[in-house]
Amino acid sequence: MVEKLDLRGLLCPEPVIRTKKLFDKNTSDAVEALVDDDVCVANLQRLAKSLKASCKVTAEDGFYQVRIERALPDQSINSSNSNPSLEHSHNALSLSQLASQPANNNDVGSVIFLTKETLGEGDAEFGKSLLNIFLQTMLQSGHMPRAILMVNSGVKLMKKDSPFKKVLEDFKNAGTDVLACGLCVDYYKLKEDVQTEQITNMFAICEYLGAASKVISP
Amino acid sequence: MSSAESKKLTANIKAYGCAAKISSAELAQIVASLPSFESDNLLTGTKNFEDAAVYKMSDDLAIVSTIDFFPPLLDDPFMYGKIAAVNALSDVYAMGGKPLLALNVFCFPTCDYPLELAQQIIAGGAQAVREAGCLLVGGHSIQSTEPIYGLAVTGTVHPDKILMNAAARADDAILLCKPIGSGVSFLARKGGELSDTAWSALLESLCRLNGPCLEIAAKFDLHAATDITGFGLIGHLHEMAQASGLTARIASRQVPLLDEVEHCAEQGLVPAAAYANRNTYSKVCRFAESVPLALSDLMFDPQTSGGLLFSLAQSDAELALVDLQKSGWKASIIGKFIDGDAGVVEVF
Repeated sequence: MVEKLDLRGLLCPEPVIRTKKLFDKNTSDAVEALVDDDVCVANLQRLAKSLKASCKVTAEDGFYQVRIERALPDQSINSSNSNPSLEHSHNALSLSQLASQPANNNDVGSVIFLTKETLGEGDAEFGKSLLNIFLQTMLQSGHMPRAILMVNSGVKLMKKDSPFKKVLEDFKNAGTDVLACGLCVDYYKLKEDVQTEQITNMFAICEYLGAASKVISP
Repeated sequence: MSSAESKKLTANIKAYGCAAKISSAELAQIVASLPSFESDNLLTGTKNFEDAAVYKMSDDLAIVSTIDFFPPLLDDPFMYGKIAAVNALSDVYAMGGKPLLALNVFCFPTCDYPLELAQQIIAGGAQAVREAGCLLVGGHSIQSTEPIYGLAVTGTVHPDKILMNAAARADDAILLCKPIGSGVSFLARKGGELSDTAWSALLESLCRLNGPCLEIAAKFDLHAATDITGFGLIGHLHEMAQASGLTARIASRQVPLLDEVEHCAEQGLVPAAAYANRNTYSKVCRFAESVPLALSDLMFDPQTSGGLLFSLAQSDAELALVDLQKSGWKASIIGKFIDGDAGVVEVF
């Protein structure tokens, strides 16, 4: 059944609350509300959308008639609006236009993501040696990664006296971006040990990982 | 009980808090014919929409001057006074300054309300001023048809540490330090649609002085700052982007929201001033189609006692974020500034 509501003269949010209560009771399929200001119209349109109901607005002499009708299951929302200034005025802008450009637009290649200072779990010292061997082997294999990203205890590889210093330097000279997470460098108090241009942030790390063709995280 | 005792503070109020602000389009018309006041010592003009005026006294001292007031946004007089004062003090922090002296600005209809209410309003304000380490040194009060309360605040700042709207740089991260949605919250509460839990979280957020937030953030190299108030997140972002000649790019899902506001906005509990902000700023913003209507409504929602918004290098922003969150700030990196059309706000 269609309920009629005269909400003229009521201040926001009263009109939208009264209309909502009618639908909450679940006795009405449609409500015809009379309101006298355009903010109420826009808010009733939002209510209709949240109820997955259709909403038709007719401008009368000095007021609006808003008809909200619960849609049948496969009926799409049909919202016509006599007051375009309040219509949802999003200019279309595609996501791809907004996505940040990765450092290298084309083939970004693989990225090595080191989240700890060892390769795998087990004896810590052995794990460190193993990681060193892994990186050396990778360097020699010719599968050059676009970047090596270090986070958490992974940034300890950058320590001044670290046995990893050389292999990381070699990667860098071969054109790989060798970067440590700034938050982690800060946390492990390694600011002195790491060159500023090799410190990156989580945003950049996410950009690399998102754009990588393959992420290797040993 | 006399009618004076039974009347609620917000009985006749149409727009709450900063939603009572005159729209920026109307304001532009009002001030268009004002002569321009210039001085070498005046470090802020009016064209860059700064939060407060800054006047240089010497090479190491500038004064910050600002005023802010609004009609009641809730019925608890003490809380109203406190929020109004926290909101007024915020403009000094938004310039990078420290508040020193505050004056009460007070309009009150003594025929309609008991005097005790007036006492509580200014007591709430005084508490905020004390918490800020600032001195309440006087004020001015008059009769009026609706209560209005706020502060005129004078602060100080080192001339090299002023945080202008105009100094954001390309590739800066944008750090927002309080959740948004207070306008929607107040409307929803009035309609009985906001829970007590969400209501107390809202009041807690609005009573939070921005001073400690600035103190944490100032350990980093801040480029620009503002606070989010009546023109909504989009309006204030636009001002900073315009003044800095940049485009702001915002990830809508990263914007911190007050409890329950997204649901309330979806149901049409959107204040008139949010629609006014949308009308004013729709020309300068571009929303991706994927951004839900409720989120965009919230980004236009007028804020009262909103958070500070900083522009700083991404790495600094991440470090500052960790420190802020540790101290209980619901802060988030919501996007960045990029080279592009000045003043445009892109949201995806």
